[in-house]
Amino acid sequence: MSTLVYMKMLEQTPAKYDRGMRLLTLGRIDRIKREIASIWVEPGNDVLEIGCGTGTLAALMTERGAHVLGIDVSEPMLAVARESAPRAEFRHMTATEIDQLGAERFDRIVATLSFSELSEGELEYVIGASAGILKPGGKLVVADEMPASRWWQRSVARLVRWPLAALTFLLTQNTTHALRRFEERLDRTRYRVLHRERYLLGTLALVVAEKA
Amino acid sequence: MWNFLKDVWHLFGRLFPFPTKPGLRRIGDPDRSSPVLVTCNYELTVRKVIQTLVRDGVDAWLLVAPTKGINVWCAAGGGHFTTDTVVSILKTSGIDNHVDHRRLILPQLSARGVNFWGVKEHTGWKPRFGPADIKDLAAYLRAGKSRTEREHRRVKFVVKDRFVMGTNLGFNTVLLLILPLLISSIWLTGLWWKTLPLLFVLSVASSVGVFWLPGKVGVQKGVSLGVLAAAIFVVLSQTFWQLPPWPLLGWTGWIVVLSAYVGYDMPSWSPLWRQDPKELVLGVKQTQIEIIQEKCINCHLCDIVCPSDVFRHDPEAKKYEVANLDACQACGACIENCPTEAIVSNFRGGTCACPTCAIIDGVGALKRKTQKREVPTVEPVPAAANCDTEACQCALEDREPGIELQTPENENGIRFP
Ligand code: SF4
Ligand code: SF4
Repeated sequence: MSTLVYMKMLEQTPAKYDRGMRLLTLGRIDRIKREIASIWVEPGNDVLEIGCGTGTLAALMTERGAHVLGIDVSEPMLAVARESAPRAEFRHMTATEIDQLGAERFDRIVATLSFSELSEGELEYVIGASAGILKPGGKLVVADEMPASRWWQRSVARLVRWPLAALTFLLTQNTTHALRRFEERLDRTRYRVLHRERYLLGTLALVVAEKA
Repeated sequence: MWNFLKDVWHLFGRLFPFPTKPGLRRIGDPDRSSPVLVTCNYELTVRKVIQTLVRDGVDAWLLVAPTKGINVWCAAGGGHFTTDTVVSILKTSGIDNHVDHRRLILPQLSARGVNFWGVKEHTGWKPRFGPADIKDLAAYLRAGKSRTEREHRRVKFVVKDRFVMGTNLGFNTVLLLILPLLISSIWLTGLWWKTLPLLFVLSVASSVGVFWLPGKVGVQKGVSLGVLAAAIFVVLSQTFWQLPPWPLLGWTGWIVVLSAYVGYDMPSWSPLWRQDPKELVLGVKQTQIEIIQEKCINCHLCDIVCPSDVFRHDPEAKKYEVANLDACQACGACIENCPTEAIVSNFRGGTCACPTCAIIDGVGALKRKTQKREVPTVEPVPAAANCDTEACQCALEDREPGIELQTPENENGIRFP
């Protein structure tokens, strides 16, 4: 019996993933994506999106006139992405392979809710590699779950998050992790943080950094 | 106290991921020609791998891949130990700078997630599938062959493993049924606390005794165990408790039902049987697998990765064929790794239905596995002569540098960079 139940639960679809992320961020992630596309990406930009998922952001960015290359490790996600953003290019590739894309090639590198999926070693590597493939003055735009900066926010966030995460997991079997010490890591590489915005009690953050 | 709790958790909570830090570990005193091994980042596995290698005097580089804290077999089946995972750990670990060669030894049981040709294409490393059990790794290295010995490919389910998995099955079943049982106690007081230990005992017995019980694996073996347990119960109750006939009958039936359920669930805790509902309930073999002879190029991979010894080599035709269909547990490793898509089956490769996969986070396993990363396709041509001739299409050179192993003087051979 349990096998059947689990099998049913496991059945993942890209749509389910999108719903999960929307619920977990209380809809905020869609607004952040719109902000990224309209403010942080310019027409004609060469953009790399790491972990493009179902291509919602890629579609917004191509509408704005950017050339987008989206990478992801999930074939089903890529299949949906190809449909939702027909003008973008998509490739099955791990984040750690981005250094093979060519030095100083991109104006923007964006990642929403995908850096937190990486292991610490991977994250370290990807941040370093991203600096290598950005043009001088290019920007890294990351929106992800991050620990809040103030202790009381962290405690409240934890209280709110638990039931929300449980509900999301029950409904869609998806969850996220917080991205830890992200800005510290940026400081250690060739990045200068330009802009930072926090949402949802400081637990969801948008960080924009420029390659120095 | 903390360590004790952790050990208890380790003992029963194998259902849950238990991650340790991914990255490069030194085993013993490796140099620039020492072998490079890959494993998962499930803490128990990493610990066992290191202990075994140190005991056997192997100097090696160990890459602990980020598999979300799940063991090799489950992670590979659930889409967390894939070609991409290997690509990623090879790049991020910096192993390139430590060795001069590019030979990589993967655990055999990762083959249903990791594609030999994909790793080769995307990393430039030469992968090999090592033995199924880490205890055979020293022998494999010493032999200096790229192919593992047949007996080292076969997955075993010895009494000790059966006991451990039985306790975990029991723990899981109890977790799963505790709520319905508690609710039932509104009408049937005392049922729940008598049922839970019973479930646990039946779970352990069904797992340990799986080879000895009559019937097909699944519900049939469960019922045989149930009948046996019920008989013991009747004898005991008549001698000690003098139960009246109705409760006696009720409990007897209940024991058989619980046991049938446990028997159904047991295979998902074993490395040997497919979790197919029809097979487990009706005892009818559903699994079909076949090699299209014209497409086989004799690369040996299906045989090397199969944990159930399903294939045989036909030395005349220089091709492989299915020789032992009954043993096939539909793990999908051969299908994943066949370069010419010569292997056809009636099941989807690399699907996992075990509870662990349902608990872990991330984008689900099943869908992620349905399509794989592009790998080079090989045109089927008539198979060549022997492995040592140039025309051979086999995936491996037959000779590898053999390795001399020393016995370490003490247990302190492990160093972490
Ligand atoms: S070509 Fe396919 S069927 Fe033939 S030996 Fe290789 S893996 Fe097996
Ligand atoms: S023959 Fe069956 S058991 Fe063997 S590798 Fe293929 S799917 Fe797995």
